[in-house]
Amino acid sequence: MREVRKEIRPNRAVFEPGERGGLRRSLVRAGWIATGAAAALVFPAAAWAGDDQNALHPASKQEHSISVLWWVMLAGCSIGFCVVATLLLLGWVRRNRDSLPFGGGDRAGTAIVVGLGVFVPIVVLSSLFVWSDLFLIRTTEAPAANSTRMSIQVIGHDWWWEVRYPGGRAVTANEIHIPVRTRVDVAGTTADVIHSFWVPELNRKADLIPGRVNHLLLDADRPGEYRGQCAEFCGQQHAHMAMYVFADPPDVFRRWLANEERPARQPATAQAREGQHLFLSLPCSGCHMIRGTSADGTIGPDLTHLATRKTLAALTLPNHPPDLARWIEDPQRYKPGSKMPGFSLTSRERDALVAYLEGLK
Amino acid sequence: MAVTVREPARQRVDRLERIWAEPRGVFGWLTTTDHKRIGLLYFFTALAFFGAGGIEALLMRAQLSEPNEKLLSPETYDQLMTMHGVTMIFLFVIPMTTGAFGNYLVPLMIGARDMAFPRMNALSYWLFLASGLFMYYSVFTHAAPNAGWFDYVPLALNQFSPGRNIDFYALGLIFNGIASTATAINLIATTFKLRAPGMSMNRMPLFCFAILAVSLSLIFALPSLTADLVFLELQRNLGFHFFDVANGGDPLLWQHLFWLFGHPEVYIIILPAFGIATSIIPTFARRKMIFPLVALAELLVAFIGFGVWAHRMFATGLPTITLVFFAAASMMVVIPSAIQIFAWTVTVALGRPEFRTPLLFIGGFILLFVIGGLSGIMFAAIPFDQATTDTYFVVAHFHFIIFGAAVFPILGGFYYWFPKITGRLYHEGLGKLSFWLTFLGTALTFFPMHILGLIGMPRRVYTYPSSLGWGPYNLSETVGAFILTAGLLVIFGNLVWSRFRGPPAGPDPWHGGTLEWATTSPPPPYNFPVIPVVTSAYPNWDRDDRRADAGRLERGELVLDEGHETPASTVVDAVPDEVVEMPGESPWPLAVALCTALLFVMLLTRHYAVAGIFAAMTLLAVAAWHSQEPQEQ
Amino acid sequence: MSALPHSGDATTPPAVTRIEHTRLARPNGWWGMAIFVATEATLFGTLIGTYYYLRFNNAHWPPPDVPEPKLTLPLVLTGILVATSLPMQLAVSAAGRGRLVTARVALLVAVVVQAGYLGMQLHLFVHDVHEFPPSRSSYSSIYFTMLGGHHLHVGIGVLLNVWLLLRTATGLTTYRMNALRATAFYWHFVNILALCVVGTQLSPRA
Ligand code: HEA
Ligand code: HEA
Ligand code: HEC
Ligand code: CUA
Ligand SMILES: [Cu+2]
Repeated sequence: MREVRKEIRPNRAVFEPGERGGLRRSLVRAGWIATGAAAALVFPAAAWAGDDQNALHPASKQEHSISVLWWVMLAGCSIGFCVVATLLLLGWVRRNRDSLPFGGGDRAGTAIVVGLGVFVPIVVLSSLFVWSDLFLIRTTEAPAANSTRMSIQVIGHDWWWEVRYPGGRAVTANEIHIPVRTRVDVAGTTADVIHSFWVPELNRKADLIPGRVNHLLLDADRPGEYRGQCAEFCGQQHAHMAMYVFADPPDVFRRWLANEERPARQPATAQAREGQHLFLSLPCSGCHMIRGTSADGTIGPDLTHLATRKTLAALTLPNHPPDLARWIEDPQRYKPGSKMPGFSLTSRERDALVAYLEGLK
Repeated sequence: MAVTVREPARQRVDRLERIWAEPRGVFGWLTTTDHKRIGLLYFFTALAFFGAGGIEALLMRAQLSEPNEKLLSPETYDQLMTMHGVTMIFLFVIPMTTGAFGNYLVPLMIGARDMAFPRMNALSYWLFLASGLFMYYSVFTHAAPNAGWFDYVPLALNQFSPGRNIDFYALGLIFNGIASTATAINLIATTFKLRAPGMSMNRMPLFCFAILAVSLSLIFALPSLTADLVFLELQRNLGFHFFDVANGGDPLLWQHLFWLFGHPEVYIIILPAFGIATSIIPTFARRKMIFPLVALAELLVAFIGFGVWAHRMFATGLPTITLVFFAAASMMVVIPSAIQIFAWTVTVALGRPEFRTPLLFIGGFILLFVIGGLSGIMFAAIPFDQATTDTYFVVAHFHFIIFGAAVFPILGGFYYWFPKITGRLYHEGLGKLSFWLTFLGTALTFFPMHILGLIGMPRRVYTYPSSLGWGPYNLSETVGAFILTAGLLVIFGNLVWSRFRGPPAGPDPWHGGTLEWATTSPPPPYNFPVIPVVTSAYPNWDRDDRRADAGRLERGELVLDEGHETPASTVVDAVPDEVVEMPGESPWPLAVALCTALLFVMLLTRHYAVAGIFAAMTLLAVAAWHSQEPQEQ
Repeated sequence: MSALPHSGDATTPPAVTRIEHTRLARPNGWWGMAIFVATEATLFGTLIGTYYYLRFNNAHWPPPDVPEPKLTLPLVLTGILVATSLPMQLAVSAAGRGRLVTARVALLVAVVVQAGYLGMQLHLFVHDVHEFPPSRSSYSSIYFTMLGGHHLHVGIGVLLNVWLLLRTATGLTTYRMNALRATAFYWHFVNILALCVVGTQLSPRA
């Protein structure tokens, strides 16, 4: 055994030539500075980040239980991490001690391993399992059939959301209105590939899968606008497939829905009338529906009440006349790959179209 | 076994040198069947793919560094993202662990002279190389796979992906799977049959147990991926119906089959890392691992891993009872991991650890693995998974585990076995620096991803708006990725420099416990001048046994210098029962791989008749190969 | 230990027999085949699993426009195929005892029956493809994929046997002996598979 250590010793001098120390230290320092700089960027960011799509800012009972689950698990995991780190630290403290080599295989070691590696996990995990997977899961489960006051249908498309209200009279896109403090059942499916419906502040997500209808509960605690985003990769514009859920006070909601159910307004100005004429004669009407006109396409979003929306093309652009004009002329610039082609229009035609569409209150 | 040898022994060694010598030069490499050379081929090829996958990652990170960045088009981003995942998993980790580490080390550790099927070993390598080049050809034609590494249908059906992109993916992975299966068969047969006399199952090195567990997992996991990919190709190119609802198919069928492979797959990725950790820790902590428990845990991880696949599908609307079952299974899989975590840490804590670079990497690995493992456990709480699935929280989980836990030991293993493979020592100071750079870079790259996931950033987005406050986190991740890259470059710089300038290492610089340290560095083509006889799990720590080996060389026992031979033994107790003639170098594996590659190219370009011709040629090449029997060579 | 037999030297039937007698464990080649068979079995497990997965996803199985699978002919054919496990095993034990001629005759009998089986099956296969092409529905897709996969395995087995017949024409070596054992094992597997596949194929009739 002795002879063994003698074999190792001399090597050490070979490995760590002292004169390299200077270079090493300065490189290490450079590393620290870079890390520090980056960390300085991260932590202030935490302060301003996240009011928008933050799963830890619950606005519903469902999301509340998810975030409680997270904080509890975080605490538990921190303890677990500390236990392991302590053991490593113990080794670090005892590093390079002289002693007889090649111990091991003793009972004490095995007992610690079995205790920490088998018994503790069994207890901890069973508790977590019972709490989260048997009880908490009920809060976020799909609502039972007909247990809600309202059921809306959400259909994923490449790359926007079609939203249909009961009776099929109100159809909109990308912006969902629900009454606050009311259980609403979202029945989700898709027209093409798999998408996933996710509004982080309100609930878990539900995949929208061909041939299936998946249900999800929306039950906002307080009025507000909640951003959501498609979570399953669905092709080129997966990044631009966002949506809003507006939780409205009941009367606001009722007014909104009543308006939404009406057919489109007649254009009020001459320019808008020209715009309507253009819309119906250009390919637009082949893809878009404007209820009350002959435009009955189903490839793109229903535009009957386009002007009541805050944004365009699944939150890609704000719904302002100049942005709308840019979108109509060149959707591919904002959303490359989108199913809507660009149109070369004269500025007169463009303004007329915009005037018409912005009148669709 | 650098012993001073007397004349009869020297003659025997000379004879072995002559018998096992392979042709020199390029031709030698093209026809080699030496597991060490094949291991090196695997190593360099996998490393090149690591570089490619890493560059893809850095490009993605650059694109994501700022909101609304326009560096990459969405189409390019999707291809990079998919190729990054596919490359890292199929062209880097699996070939690196089973192909390079497994090939190079397993025969050495069990005291054999080669793998059980040397020519098939060469074939695996050439098939792997060809499949990698096949898939990378797509990158240069701008038609790389772009539906994500798990390639969900219907997005991957030709209705939504009409180009050749997905065909590159599906055919490339079928092709690659053949190579991995061949390697796995070889490794299992080798660990079962070629162990040195006395190395009964319970004395087999834990590294070999890990590789055995990986190989078994590959054997049982790859078929479901292959079937899935075959279905996909049949549907895309010949109009079959497996995944479309209108004709009685189901898109979830793809997901079930993919994850039935995909979860065992992640243990395939991590188990070699466990094996490397169980090699490095005893050496530097000067303490044996708790034996049967850890071996059992390694096998159990692989086994339970087959029962958890649907935890990737918690948001697909499967019945709650199914979800709960799979959540329970996911929690169970923790126990073998926990056993190992504590077996390692307790060994370090109770030993007398010497924190050289390899052990530093293992320390880093343990910390990163615990973080990644614990976030994995969080996913087993179904409501939390349903909230965070498909967000950057998942990306954080698996990079901590995949990069932090699977790649760190690989990097530590580079350092650890470098002296064995090159005969030289690396530079310790640079080694430590490279560890700290990589470790801190990893933390900075992947830790903020947890936060991003929680504050709502979905994965696989090529850009994001500035209004959500995701920018600074993303920027720090990008900075981290570059620090991490710097660390990796220091590693490779160190190793390249040391390869030429490092001081000589001698056969056993660390005083390791396993048999690879009992032979010279680098090992001779026949590995051991005399087949070692083993009496414990750490045979190289049994000084008397090793001295006895030297004595047997003098007497000519178990030298096997009459032919190109290695002993084969019984599966459990390793009682030697015959000396088998091993085939030597052969051009046929390369020829078979070439024909197979052409076959796949023809399938890709839909020239089915020509593909049939190449299939026939493949069979002919296989027949030609096998009519050259080992004893005739 | 120095008295270990060198299997590479065994190039005559008696030498091979001696090796076979002293052997404590199965040869490497057998293990290689056994592991390969394990992965193949998993592959077919997946195919059969997919069959039932799709079946339970569809109200009509087979769909109304597809005739129910025929019962007798596939069963008889499968029975004949399974019977070839006997001559295969006979070939192994004869070769192991040094009776090369017997072994080759058994092998020849087996391969003739197997090739006949394959011919009949391919005929049925082509007939079915015309009747309900695989692009018709998920039923026909999995039906033909599963059957095609199995026929491919039979085909490969036939090629292996032909190769063995050719190789053993010039004598017996341990290498060939091991190949024969491994191939026989492969056939036992293919035959069990045949039962599973035909069972699945006929299951709508149950
Ligand atoms: C090397 C790869 C690797 C490994 C080893 C693991 C290990 C684990 N993984 Fe991970 N996982 C991936 C790679 C890996 N994973 C990848 C690539 C994905 C995403 C794929 C994709 O979508 O692209 C993924 C995704 C993934 C999901 C799906 C997330 C989603 O998309 O919704 C889930 C869900 O359950 C999961 C769970 C687990 C669990 C429970 C473990 C366990 O094995 C972890 C066990 C380890 C520990 C727990 C730590 C050590 C133990 C202790 C310190 C003891 C004390 C602990 C307790 C008492 C709790 N993983
Ligand atoms: C083993 C697996 C593995 C490894 C090691 C990595 C390593 C890295 N990954 Fe990877 N990653 C995945 C597997 C892996 N990843 C998978 C499966 C996905 C999911 C894909 C999908 O969604 O479909 C993913 C997704 C993924 C994403 C999310 C993309 C998205 O959702 O949009 C990101 C983003 O930052 C990322 C970053 C990184 C980074 C910065 C590294 C770094 O650690 C990389 C550092 C490496 C280098 C920089 C290479 C340096 C090497 C050399 C220089 C060697 C040179 C050699 C020669 C010249 C011979 N990865
Ligand atoms: C080929 C089909 C097609 C044609 C033709 C087409 N569109 Fe579109 N349109 C779409 C699709 C698809 C979208 C959704 C794009 C997205 O969000 O990815 C869309 C989105 C829009 C939007 C934003 C809707 C919303 O709710 O955010 C407007 C406005 C619009 N189109 C107007 C027009 C006008 C005006 C024309 C004619 C000049 C036109 N479209 C022609 C398919 C079409
Ligand atoms: Cu729709 Cu992603
Ligand atoms: Cu998993």
